[in-house]
Amino acid sequence: MALRYEYAVETEDLAKYYVMGPVTVKALDGVSVRIRRSEYLSIMGPSGSGKTTFFNMIGGLDRPTRGKVFIDEVDIASLDAYELAWLRAKKIGYVFQTFNLIPVLTAMENVMLPMIFTGVDRDERIRRAKEMLTRVGLGERLYHKPGELSGGQQQRVAIARALVNDPVIVLADEPTGNLDLHTGLEIINLMKTLNTEKKVTIINATHDLKMIDVSDRILWIRDGRIERIETRAEVAVKEVE
Amino acid sequence: MAKEEGVKFPLSEAFSFSLESIKRRFSRAVITMASIILGITFLSFLLTTGRITSSIQQQSGTIVGTYQIWVAIIALFICAVGIVNSMLISVAERYKEIGTIKCLGAMNRHVLTIFLIEGFLLGLIGGVIGSLTGWGLATLWQYVQFMLQQQGSAQFQVLLISANLWMEFNYRDPLMLLSNPLVDIGLSVFIALISSIVPAYIAAKLSPTEALRYEA
Repeated sequence: MALRYEYAVETEDLAKYYVMGPVTVKALDGVSVRIRRSEYLSIMGPSGSGKTTFFNMIGGLDRPTRGKVFIDEVDIASLDAYELAWLRAKKIGYVFQTFNLIPVLTAMENVMLPMIFTGVDRDERIRRAKEMLTRVGLGERLYHKPGELSGGQQQRVAIARALVNDPVIVLADEPTGNLDLHTGLEIINLMKTLNTEKKVTIINATHDLKMIDVSDRILWIRDGRIERIETRAEVAVKEVE
Repeated sequence: MAKEEGVKFPLSEAFSFSLESIKRRFSRAVITMASIILGITFLSFLLTTGRITSSIQQQSGTIVGTYQIWVAIIALFICAVGIVNSMLISVAERYKEIGTIKCLGAMNRHVLTIFLIEGFLLGLIGGVIGSLTGWGLATLWQYVQFMLQQQGSAQFQVLLISANLWMEFNYRDPLMLLSNPLVDIGLSVFIALISSIVPAYIAAKLSPTEALRYEA
């Protein structure tokens, strides 16, 4: 993949308000950030800080109240439904806390699914799904359904599914939230390896502090605003002090 | 964006997706189909019996009471409501799945297509089973009756008449038309498709964030 653009994601004064009766909840209130290509960024913050809202905005899953999101320098508000679907299918891979695999499909079929939408032919789909699942260490589990896999294995399938279309960005919303310490660490390391190997930008919304060790930068969010952005080195220095 | 850079979901893929979905959620499909099978069986049984009776007595048309026709119509309405209900539950069960495939690139119309095809397939399978059962039972019922009355020629006639029903398309009389089991299959598909519209539309309109937030 050619490095055409310096920034994979840019947001400008991004805001999302929810009106709930008389109160307006500012889930996100003016977030401007630039995320470089092949960066590993973690978005940290307590529950309700706006992590998931931010995640949904840059994933093109929800429309902002104010502000702009650019993916590969394209303002996603300018995209029609067709182009937005293409963005989701081809440019972004999603990983969720609850894995969200299709329960009736096997691991292979789950990984093949995004390639249907990008028009990859069937033989190629099978080949790439096998390759990707083998890459995440599930070469022996191709024909198992999600119910027959452990949480860590399911998340590996989800990561394979997110990466199989060679996206620009992988968005992960609390990917280790439902996993134990050890399995969570394995998933984090897997994502880091794939980040380095495939030069894919990885954006994690998380409150798992283990994530700091592999992140290039950490973005701290509180009450819908950026509290601070730190590099891993800065966090490490603080820990020493 | 260039034309080839667009999401694709050809009808063949939608078909295999829906078919897999029915196969692997078979108990749900059986429940949905049950109502349509019962409705169509009832209609088919009624009309086939009527046609055989009237043909044997060498009358034109169908001997079916107005009362019976109304019961059949109401049965079909109940069957339609049953399908709507069952499909709505099926959509609710699959909120997360719908949210997920939307994240993977499915558009509203793709989701709509998936659920409409599911409705179509359920209507087709239910219609085939229903009209074969209704027609078969009616034929058997009449055959046994004439056998008990020891009317050998009528017995044979029964089989001939009901076999003929498959090839007869009488567009002037709706009751005559519907006594063809093939037309009943068509009716079944039609009812199932109409009943799937609302559930499919609800599924298609789901926003991915809402669908993913939903906890089953």
